[in-house]
Amino acid sequence: MSDAVLTLSHLRKSFGSLLATDDVSLDLRRGEVHALIGPNGAGKSTLIKQITGELRQDAGTIVFEGERIDHLDTAARARRGLARSFQVSSVIPAFTVLQNIMLAVLGAGGGVYRFVRPALRDPGLTDPARFHAEQVGLADRLTTRAAALSHGERRRLELAMALALRPRAFLLDEPMAGLGLEGARHLTTLLSDLRHQAPILLVEHDMDAVFALADRISVLVYGRIIATGTVAEIRANDAVRRSYLGEGA
Amino acid sequence: MARETLLTLAIMAALLGTVIVAQMMGEGFVITLATKATIFALAGVGLNLALGYGGLVSFGHAAFFGIGGYVTGILASHAGAGTAVATLPFTLMGSNQMLGIWPMAMLAAGAAALLIGALSLRTSGVYFIMVTLAFAQMLSYFAISWPRYGGEDGLSFYVRNSFPGLNTLVPVQYFAICMALLVLALIASSVIVRSRFGLALQAARQNDQRAAAVGIRPYALRLVAFVISAMITGLAGSLYADLNRFVSPAMMSWHMSGEIMVFVILGGVGRLAGPVAGAVVFILLEHLLGGVSEYWKALLGLLLLAIVLFAPGGLIGLALRRDRHV
Repeated sequence: MSDAVLTLSHLRKSFGSLLATDDVSLDLRRGEVHALIGPNGAGKSTLIKQITGELRQDAGTIVFEGERIDHLDTAARARRGLARSFQVSSVIPAFTVLQNIMLAVLGAGGGVYRFVRPALRDPGLTDPARFHAEQVGLADRLTTRAAALSHGERRRLELAMALALRPRAFLLDEPMAGLGLEGARHLTTLLSDLRHQAPILLVEHDMDAVFALADRISVLVYGRIIATGTVAEIRANDAVRRSYLGEGA
Repeated sequence: MARETLLTLAIMAALLGTVIVAQMMGEGFVITLATKATIFALAGVGLNLALGYGGLVSFGHAAFFGIGGYVTGILASHAGAGTAVATLPFTLMGSNQMLGIWPMAMLAAGAAALLIGALSLRTSGVYFIMVTLAFAQMLSYFAISWPRYGGEDGLSFYVRNSFPGLNTLVPVQYFAICMALLVLALIASSVIVRSRFGLALQAARQNDQRAAAVGIRPYALRLVAFVISAMITGLAGSLYADLNRFVSPAMMSWHMSGEIMVFVILGGVGRLAGPVAGAVVFILLEHLLGGVSEYWKALLGLLLLAIVLFAPGGLIGLALRRDRHV
């Protein structure tokens, strides 16, 4: 498929006798939000980790922007523009908002081995960092330590860090988790616009958000993708209703 | 941040003031003590870069302290005898010039750190502590069993190495050299910590998964920090050798590694002046209590315990916290 940015083909990963990823093929196309849903323990996070390089698959290939990235480590994949957020917010707690985003700018742009100039006085880092803070609505929290942020703000900080990677694809692992109704709505709007910058592979339990955002949905159950399709197709799919959405959906 | 800078300046001024007063009163011994504290502080500044900012709990920094010392002792003893240290692959003559010895000591310590770090940084946590300890012990036993440079008895050299324009045997002049190097190391350390490299290093300490997810490789970063750290500690080893005009395997023993860690932890992990405060207090206690009882280290242990339990920011953290409440 020519407009696929990220293509997983026949991925397989087992932990002992447990087959966590069972022949998964999936693609993420330009301009879309592709939601990955499934019950707890279906292997969603395991799949994400194989894409980011935190886990190595046993078989199958991962192609990103036309090139195989299976052999690259996490840092190298991130530098190619594979930006992820974590299921449990993961930021640098003692750093300020600005420093956290600067770190992502630094990682994306390279030049880590510079020892003299103060990073905080380096417009090559601070300017893009301020810009991305503004994008997610954290412009007035620049000097706040990440540890002191609210849960929702930390989620947005993670998003700003992802944006700073100049991403070619987003991997968002349950970005709505723990957000209140208001926060979830705010983030849904933010994500909806992001898809035009880079496609989003969205792992999410919040079905309201999934149905509001997704262009396509894949359903993962026991490591297998049992269905892929548009929101309407997935809603109408009998197997999906039985195994995940429940009869009421 | 600014308050910490002031505190750093105050501590350095106190150290300098003590020496000036001692000089006027003709207390040469106090100057020697202050010099020792300055050198230990420098060793701690080196370790602090790895331990405080990089989160690398190295229990083997005595290896680099000792390597710096032995390079100095070996070069000086050959210079004294007028013989070559090595003739292959090229002729390396001894030296009694500090300006030539320091870079050699730092290079040797850095090269050792590159090897030790490349292996030990593949582990983390307790394993890292143990692997660094093991390497330092290996070097220490090697020095014990190498008779050419004194073996277990250590290696003496009779004249302190020289520095252009100064008489290094005059205590206050030698102190000035050590103090200048400590100031340089503190400046270098604070610059590195605030640089791009420092930002990435401190990020990797707090959350290496996050660092990797934004494209930063913790391993290489830590290795570089470890090498720089070892070079500074190696320089301190060189100065210590010159202070005593003697090096011995004890410089590389785990006791020494522990002491360097104590300077850092006592003063404040990841605080610029932490190792300085720690080393000064250590030397004071050793001098004041050591005269009373040879079990003074039990008291030091209690103090260390209290710091770790009640003031994880060390003495510097304690001073700054009290400041904030005013």
